[in-house]
Amino acid sequence: MISVLIVDDAAFSRRMIRKFLQADGYEIWEATNGKEALSIVRDRTPDCLVTDILMPDMNGFELLQTLKEQGLAIPTIIISADIQESSRQRGYNLGAAAFINKPPKEDELRQTVRQVFSF
Amino acid sequence: MSYARPSDKFLASRGISLVKQLTEDQIDAIKELINIGVGRAASLLNEMVGFPICLEIPFIQVFTVEDLQQELIARFNSNYLATVRLEFSGSINGSAELVFPTESASTLVSILTGEDLGSPDLDAVKIGTLTEVGNIVINGVIGSLGNLLKQRMNYLIPTYTEDTVENLFAAVEPDDSTIVLAQASFTIEQLQVIGDLIFIFELQTFDQLIAAIEEVA
Repeated sequence: MISVLIVDDAAFSRRMIRKFLQADGYEIWEATNGKEALSIVRDRTPDCLVTDILMPDMNGFELLQTLKEQGLAIPTIIISADIQESSRQRGYNLGAAAFINKPPKEDELRQTVRQVFSF
Repeated sequence: MSYARPSDKFLASRGISLVKQLTEDQIDAIKELINIGVGRAASLLNEMVGFPICLEIPFIQVFTVEDLQQELIARFNSNYLATVRLEFSGSINGSAELVFPTESASTLVSILTGEDLGSPDLDAVKIGTLTEVGNIVINGVIGSLGNLLKQRMNYLIPTYTEDTVENLFAAVEPDDSTIVLAQASFTIEQLQVIGDLIFIFELQTFDQLIAAIEEVA
């Protein structure tokens, strides 16, 4: 089964994202910040990563940076309330495959994840 | 325009010449920038709750912390409020708050989670849900402001608090609190939810906001 790791400190957002993606039958894993996500990734690599930016302990940018440094090329989608163009650009520079603003729209999110898997 | 000029005595007591720097055009520009951001925030809130959001035109005012406290108590007819605060820094420093009565906070959580909370007590679901709502809504405004002014904003982790108005705003340092405040009120009539979006810009960095506005206007 294709696995998607959702990284977000807000249970509300994790629940919303999980609900949208479960409709497409993905196996969903969850982490509440970048550190927790890294710990999960060390044990089992997800097929796709969906991450928030603003999180305690390790934010989404730091997570992407660390994955890059460790040579782990996991397709990553950022879902953030941060609507700044500079943040979007920074995410893409760190290798994000897509950047979606919160609250995510179901169709947009499902379509974006599908596109990630089609490459 | 609902811009209230503070008294000369008040300004002199703080050595503030801010009002002299703010022309009608500048106030108009700040108001419009906030308006654009609040409009985006309302659209996001509408997406989340599924009910129309009624907005009042934001106003810009110079307040003391005490003035702000009295204003909030009068508007919500309560001294006990819920607030999500997001502090930002960069070329402009300050904080933004989504403020509402605790009943409105509970109603919002109930709508968003589909759960009947029943109890007015704080719990993890309520805190987490409202913090995320505040985060999304406030980012809608501050991010929009940053994009329009081409100014990078950095955020701290948002925090949710329920407390008296005095305690909610007690942490603001006196020198930083006599500041320009932008306030926008919103109502979700069908849910009987009311709230305010409040932006407090620190005086030291407000000059930079004006400079940025001058550059893009």
